[in-house]
Amino acid sequence: MRVFTTMIYREMKRFIRSKARVIGSLINPVIWLVLFGKGWAGAFNFPGASMIFGGVDYMTYLVPGIVAMTVFNMSFIQGITIIWDKQFGFIKEILVAPASRGEAILGRITGGAIMAMIQGVIILALSFFIASGLKLSGVLPALALSFLVGLAVAGMGVAIAMRMSSMEGFQMIMTMIMLPMTFLSGAFYPVKTMPEWMQWLAKVNPLTYAVDGSRYYLAGVSPAFSLRTDWTVLTGLALLFMGIAVVEFRKATID
Amino acid sequence: MEYAVEVENLVKKYGDFTAVRGISFRVRRGEIFAFLGPNGAGKTTTVHVLTTLLKPNGGTAFVAGHDVVREPMEVRRRIGIVFQDPSLDRELTAYENMYIHGRIYGYSGEGLRKKIERLLKFVELWEFKDRPVKFFSGGMQRRLEIARSLLHEPEILFLDEPTIGLDPQTRAHIWEYIRAMKEEQDMTIFLTTHYMDEAEQLADRIAIMDYGRIIAEGTADELKKLVGNDVIYLRMEEPEEGVKCLNADFIRGCKVMPDGRVRLDVQNAGEAVPKLFELAQEKGVRILEVTYHRPTLNDVFLHLTGREIRDEGGEQSTARMIMRARMRRR
Repeated sequence: MRVFTTMIYREMKRFIRSKARVIGSLINPVIWLVLFGKGWAGAFNFPGASMIFGGVDYMTYLVPGIVAMTVFNMSFIQGITIIWDKQFGFIKEILVAPASRGEAILGRITGGAIMAMIQGVIILALSFFIASGLKLSGVLPALALSFLVGLAVAGMGVAIAMRMSSMEGFQMIMTMIMLPMTFLSGAFYPVKTMPEWMQWLAKVNPLTYAVDGSRYYLAGVSPAFSLRTDWTVLTGLALLFMGIAVVEFRKATID
Repeated sequence: MEYAVEVENLVKKYGDFTAVRGISFRVRRGEIFAFLGPNGAGKTTTVHVLTTLLKPNGGTAFVAGHDVVREPMEVRRRIGIVFQDPSLDRELTAYENMYIHGRIYGYSGEGLRKKIERLLKFVELWEFKDRPVKFFSGGMQRRLEIARSLLHEPEILFLDEPTIGLDPQTRAHIWEYIRAMKEEQDMTIFLTTHYMDEAEQLADRIAIMDYGRIIAEGTADELKKLVGNDVIYLRMEEPEEGVKCLNADFIRGCKVMPDGRVRLDVQNAGEAVPKLFELAQEKGVRILEVTYHRPTLNDVFLHLTGREIRDEGGEQSTARMIMRARMRRR
């Protein structure tokens, strides 16, 4: 356990040290929330509009999506930045240590997921000031779902990064993976009114289940899938991606 | 156990390229052993195999009595390493870097705190302990890495080009630490370097490596004896090809340098120089300039390979070519 907790400690220290980066990364979801959210909230302010969004106003509908998106983005970045560790040599430190590599990488992933969740909590706290229909009682289960997404996605980031040899593909991966997964998650609009092919893509997107579940807990919108499905899929994916990351990391040598 | 490192016929390939071509050597307990050779000779690759980071393609390697392939964990427990490229957490402070390393190696609490304090004082970084490493100079980072590598009291310490890119004063400073480590902790130190003075200053024994092979091994004095005792440089007035080397039995080796001078290896320069003048006169050649010196390790390398150790090649130029190719692709 010592290596596991040490890696979480390291993530925490790095998180605290890079205040500028943390604040910078919070600006993005705030812009979505305020500019995108308030903009559409005005447009959807006609009688019956709330029927589109499961009976709540658009801001309340949007918040769980933005929170899940924040955790998703941050944990993916946390995971994939292991490529920096690879480039700046910290990985070598771990690889020559008489420590369990699996434990080390799980600590790295968990640390990343926790830091991403803290950013999700900040966004959620701000949301209570601008969306009226949020339920305080839903905060904990929604965050638990976010944490699972965080684990899955940080694990996915690590697995991808272990196969990358340089930072060159980084920008492309961000655009190719993060943007489509965000739009296909139902964070901004309901999955069930999407064209059918998009619905299919949405269903294989882990973020969809986090948005679906936390929207139920935070906004009271009845879930498109069952809650059990949401929890099962996310737990399964978290285990799957962490497993892949462990396997990839155990094999790791240096070039 | 007499030997800290025992390597037999070690081979390491990267695809078609063979970086280490079947080397064998032994490092005794408590000595400083240096791999000396130009960039791309296979020194770092060997270190990475010995530190369990790379799997060899052939041969055996035992470090601290354990097989690096079969018992990597046992090896890892007993070694420390300072990598050629920095491997510090730049965002974190010196103390935090030490602390994380200590925790990973199973230390904690007051014991760990005291060790960190003692080692940071040893490398004279204690007053900077709370400063993020990104504000450290190259020399300070190196010192921190040395302190960190000592934290878990390794039996064998690997130093891969410990003073590369540092200014002369800082290098001398780092050498002092390395000597002090050997004296105080009775540690076996394996270092790689392409600086001849570094190998000469620090190492009890030196293996000269070139193109993946060990081409000579011994103490600095033993290696220099390969050349002969002295090295003479002659500049002559337009000598004909055949007479450049002034063939005589007291000349043990001869090489024409790129600048036109002729390099002669002799037993004793003081006795040889008058003889050379006689010889030159016989052959009708005028000597314009004579210099001589005791052989250096560079002379040894030149004697063995026909190249100077400072010649750039291998790794570095390959890396440049790869970089260029990448730029073009963009």
